[in-house]
Amino acid sequence: MMQALNIFSSIAAHAVASEPAAGVAQAATRTITQGETWMLAIPFLPLLAFVLIALCAAFKVRSKLPAFITVGLLALSFGAALTTFIQHFMGPAAAPILHVHAFDWLHFKAGPEAAQGFVANFAFYIDSLTILWMLFVTGLATLIALYASEYMSHDVGPGYCRFFAAFSLFVFSMSCLVMADNLVLLFLGWEGVGLCSYLLIGYFYKKAPAVAAAKKAFIMNRIGDLGLLMGIFSIYTAFGTVEYAKIFEFFRSGVDATGNQIGSSTWITIIIPLLFTIGAFGKSAQVFLYTWLPDAMEGPTPVSALIHAATMVTAGVFLIARMMPLYQADPNLLILSIVAWSGAITALWSATIEMAIFDIKRVMGYSTISQLGFMFAGLGVLTPEGSAFHVFTHAFFKATLFLGVGAVMHGFGGQLDLRRLSGVGWMKGFGLVAAAVFIGSINLAGFPFTAGFFSKDMILAEAFARPEGQIAGSQAVAWILLITAGMTAYYTFRSFFRVYVGPKQFVPGDDAELVDLGRHPKGVSLDAWHKEHGHGHGHGHEHEHNDHAHRHGSYGGVGDARAHGRQDFDPSTEEFDPHPPGFAMKFAIAACAILTIAAAGLYFVSPAIGEGGGWAAGMVRQSSAVVSAEVLSGHTSGTDEGHAHGTFLGMDPHHVMYYVSAGVGFIGVLIAAFLHGPKGWQGLFLGVRQSCDVAPRADKLANAFGPLTTAARNKYYVDEIYDALITRPLWVLSHIFHLFDQYVVDGLVNLIGALPRFFGKALRPIQSGEMHGYAVGMAGGVAVLLILVVLLVG
Amino acid sequence: MTDRLAFLWPEIALFVTTCIVMIVGLSKSLAVRKSTGVIAGVGVLVALYLAAVSTPHTSGPAVCPLTGIHFAPQLTASMGQVLLPDMVPFTKCLIAAVGFMLLLVLAGTVDRNEEAQIASGKRVYDPLRANRAEFYAFYLFSLTGLMLTASADDLIWLFLALELTSLPTYIMVAMSTSRNQSREAGVKYFFLGALGAAIFLYGFALIYGGTGETKLNDIAAVIHAQGINSLTMVGAILAIFGFAFKIAAVPMHFYTADVYQGSASQVSAFLAFVPKTAGFIAILLLCATLGWAYNPGEGAGGSIGFTAVVTQVEGATRLPEPVRLLLWVMAAMTMTIGNIFAILQTSVKRTLAYSSIAHSGYMLVGVIAGPFNGDSSNAFTNNGVSAVLFYLLSYGVMNLGAFAALAMIERTAKADGEVREIDHFDDLRGLCKVHPIAGWTLVISSLSLLGLPPLLGFFGKLPLFTSGIAAGEIVLVVILGINSAIAAFYYLRMAFLPLTDTRDATIEQTTEAPFVGRKLAGLLSAGGVIVLAIAASAVIDQVKQAGTVQTWNPTRAIKPAPAPHGHDHAALELSPESVAAAGGVTSGAAKDER
Repeated sequence: MMQALNIFSSIAAHAVASEPAAGVAQAATRTITQGETWMLAIPFLPLLAFVLIALCAAFKVRSKLPAFITVGLLALSFGAALTTFIQHFMGPAAAPILHVHAFDWLHFKAGPEAAQGFVANFAFYIDSLTILWMLFVTGLATLIALYASEYMSHDVGPGYCRFFAAFSLFVFSMSCLVMADNLVLLFLGWEGVGLCSYLLIGYFYKKAPAVAAAKKAFIMNRIGDLGLLMGIFSIYTAFGTVEYAKIFEFFRSGVDATGNQIGSSTWITIIIPLLFTIGAFGKSAQVFLYTWLPDAMEGPTPVSALIHAATMVTAGVFLIARMMPLYQADPNLLILSIVAWSGAITALWSATIEMAIFDIKRVMGYSTISQLGFMFAGLGVLTPEGSAFHVFTHAFFKATLFLGVGAVMHGFGGQLDLRRLSGVGWMKGFGLVAAAVFIGSINLAGFPFTAGFFSKDMILAEAFARPEGQIAGSQAVAWILLITAGMTAYYTFRSFFRVYVGPKQFVPGDDAELVDLGRHPKGVSLDAWHKEHGHGHGHGHEHEHNDHAHRHGSYGGVGDARAHGRQDFDPSTEEFDPHPPGFAMKFAIAACAILTIAAAGLYFVSPAIGEGGGWAAGMVRQSSAVVSAEVLSGHTSGTDEGHAHGTFLGMDPHHVMYYVSAGVGFIGVLIAAFLHGPKGWQGLFLGVRQSCDVAPRADKLANAFGPLTTAARNKYYVDEIYDALITRPLWVLSHIFHLFDQYVVDGLVNLIGALPRFFGKALRPIQSGEMHGYAVGMAGGVAVLLILVVLLVG
Repeated sequence: MTDRLAFLWPEIALFVTTCIVMIVGLSKSLAVRKSTGVIAGVGVLVALYLAAVSTPHTSGPAVCPLTGIHFAPQLTASMGQVLLPDMVPFTKCLIAAVGFMLLLVLAGTVDRNEEAQIASGKRVYDPLRANRAEFYAFYLFSLTGLMLTASADDLIWLFLALELTSLPTYIMVAMSTSRNQSREAGVKYFFLGALGAAIFLYGFALIYGGTGETKLNDIAAVIHAQGINSLTMVGAILAIFGFAFKIAAVPMHFYTADVYQGSASQVSAFLAFVPKTAGFIAILLLCATLGWAYNPGEGAGGSIGFTAVVTQVEGATRLPEPVRLLLWVMAAMTMTIGNIFAILQTSVKRTLAYSSIAHSGYMLVGVIAGPFNGDSSNAFTNNGVSAVLFYLLSYGVMNLGAFAALAMIERTAKADGEVREIDHFDDLRGLCKVHPIAGWTLVISSLSLLGLPPLLGFFGKLPLFTSGIAAGEIVLVVILGINSAIAAFYYLRMAFLPLTDTRDATIEQTTEAPFVGRKLAGLLSAGGVIVLAIAASAVIDQVKQAGTVQTWNPTRAIKPAPAPHGHDHAALELSPESVAAAGGVTSGAAKDER
């Protein structure tokens, strides 16, 4: 083992910071080449799937056809992405920038000259960063669609069509976002993924919390979208274009459209990146905009796996990586410091919540926020390579974990409380699930030789290696991230030890997610739901005793049902048969787990450019996301000589970080085992837990922390604070406006409307129907008007 | 004098058709009798063709596309009036086209019970009791009169043409249904119409007294030379009052609602188009004779305080101040009174009657704005005369749809076999479901009458607004805008009752009237509303040409006056400088006579 560690520490000796200059030089000279037309299949096949499924819905298809269409076309889309990668981006040769034009989209002319216009085409800009993203987006989407074909099978019919239509549309939107050649098309994709996310979170639209969560996600994202939109406006104002190629050319030349130095313009170096950062924070659930993501777990689990873990939420990381030249333009790297700090604080903040809550799906939700925090911190500490690699590995291992959680939900009637589940891995049919979750967990916890370990290390090492003063407080950021890594290992294995090993006990869930919507009991308000679920988690709210056949199977369902507020459930008379996953789900889970293992190997593929960091780092260095050598060495920050590398307690972080993070991870896992591990040979020997709902040591520790634990379990009351600070005042204001509208505006309008009626009523007697009256009226009218004319004209 | 014939080919065709129809309609053979309407339709189409190819206009002889004959000659002053030289071909085509659609709607108006009884053998055919021949003949006479109005170049001619238009309508109203209400309406219409005719005939007499001329060209020349004396001015004002009866403008509007409601829906459609068009053609001719080219405050009456409501616009000129003032007050009152009466009605036909008053008010805005506004680019949107002509077309097409929808449906016959029309707003509920053609025709027509943007009514109303603004009549345009909003109240009701509501049991059952022609007319109207809106540019070119006005600016006259009694038409030249100074640019016929 030590030998193996030495192998990669020797690789790391030449790590990222050492030789990036060659890559930069190549990036500067690279030209844009015309891509082949068939590459349009990558975004448009998912769109075709969407159209076909819409037709299915129109023809009321009641079979799994929509799923087959989705899986098939997404697989072809993945094939196109893979072919593009193999043909153009494999090997050490300099990667091209491919430009594929679909059709002219927006062309506005503002003046006689060509430059005085606005052009945004439906065209795609495929460089190595793009293709890196597209590979896992289309690949994972295919696998998860396959998984969903079984997972959603209880809803075959209109719901099934709705699900897969939104799913396909999501992949199309995500492709537009990633592959766009201009910011406007990126924004279209950005809004498109937001829309699909909204539609899929609110998939169970008869369930009040799902609808509330969907709205919350959409509205929270609006804040970020405003930032992004203003950023795009500002980019157009500064450079007169929204196309990447031209924007990057401006940054390469160092002057903006009016000929001013970019570096001296506060607008370009501070404000615009800040606006983009707000946009990225919204989509990727960072800092004060994160609260929508845990609630988004109300959606079906495949959606959580694809959209809210693997792909959409990484759009913010992509945006910053894509616009890296913009972020590097500031000599003080102020915004990148903000990004680093935001990421680190978000990572720590959500990790503390995860350690306290009991809902295993929300643990994964907060874990995603935490890992996204790592990625943002990585961008902040100038390692887009590490961030992109972490995005890539995280996509696979988090998808594996979510699919595993989904299988458990599917099998146990929507049960997600880790105190109601134990020993799932030993139950019939769930062995594979437990194995896959174990693989995902060791990646998330950062076990040595796993993909998650390598990608997290790149970020941690670079954070420690930043020279003093380059990124404000980078040492503190690094320490926060390191502590968070330990916490990550703890909460990951806390779930694992509680749910997958130990005595075989469980309480089936309320089955809400799997209950046919049509039979779902109505009339349960959000308040009633909250009352029943005092822990602020859980899925479903009513008990379906007669509908689900497999509830009446046999398996020793033991557990404290009363603690859950369910007096009417009697485990001795009602039995429940866990429902193990079928072929499609097992295949998808296994494939994701295997890909997760395989992803570790990418770290050992020598990068196309530069040294260290593996394949993904090479891909990033060939794209616009590369950090220029001057910035990296600190030459731009005023002084001529570069700063010395930062250290980890006096040692070179590139060398020692492997051992340190592995050690921290081990400690986290050991604590988890000590607190939550089951007693006996089935578990680890450390544990004392004997039933599913009581872990004596952990409970004692949680009590010792008292109010802190309560606060964390209640998510630090952030939602309540937002409600009091923002929602309530807005609500009051809107009611004041409503009253104004009702009484003042409507009153005026009604008054104006009433006037003609009043005059009409007053004049009506004139139309008596009597002819002599009419004749007198005519003659009199002529006389009056004549007199009027004579008087006025004189 | 034979030159005059060049104008009259469509009228001659119509007259010949009238004679044939009068004979054929009395035939004892049912088949021959039934062909009356077809013959009338063919006659109107022939008149349409002749109007299109034979009418003289300023751009010289045209070649008939079918026969290759050089037909429409170059217009000269000896042929007719040269004040609105290109109005005649456009208006005649408009009259014939809308007239054809009206003929479709009018199918089966008279003799329905009679024919049913003959068919069932209860009675033998008796020419004395049958009305078919007279009805179609009167219709064609009225149409002939309308075309003659368009051809008019003389006050006497104009009077006779207007009366030829109006007199048959009185009878048609009376015979349109067998109810007493129709007879009452006919009588009212006749007496009040006589009062109106008396007023404008008195006005004509005064104009003759003031100028010593009856020909419009000559009157214009006299005014050009000497200005307008007070006798002429009083005559013009009285004439406008008389015309106001034809267009149902305040204060001559009283008859409208009673007459429209008293006659059958299809005859109301006819009343809303034929007399109104005649009245507007007459008003335009009279105004062209007086001239729009007066500078503000420079009219015969001199400067007065009332001009304060007019915003000074560069290049805008206007009618003589008393005439403008009269029309201004008339327009404002007509729009407003028409609309506020319309919103109170429960009868659809009365609503449409009052709305027809309001539409006359809208069109008067175009008359006031006149042709010379803005710069010399002579844009369509600045020409009030073009706006009026285009609105006549729009209104004719879309209003016909609304009445045709009513004519398509009737209440299910009771035992006495009496045909009763639908008239109450409640009858419209759920029409789109029960009678889709009638329902949708009514919806589209109502929305177009309201002026909803993609439809013809919007494109009709738009130039009225823009020309009014270009002429500086901001206050009037504001009144126009407010009235359009008020009109939305009842037009939206008319559009949405057929669409949204469902019928309940209390509403009387309805059946479709057994006449294909009415449905066809409704479809033509609804289709026209959409097609003309899309293809408006082709029509607009014609209308722009038709709205070109030749006129003189008396206060800037350069040439000495021609001899008042000398029939020297060559003296009727234009002075290009004065026209240019007035802001209007035309290629006038008179110019080519020099």
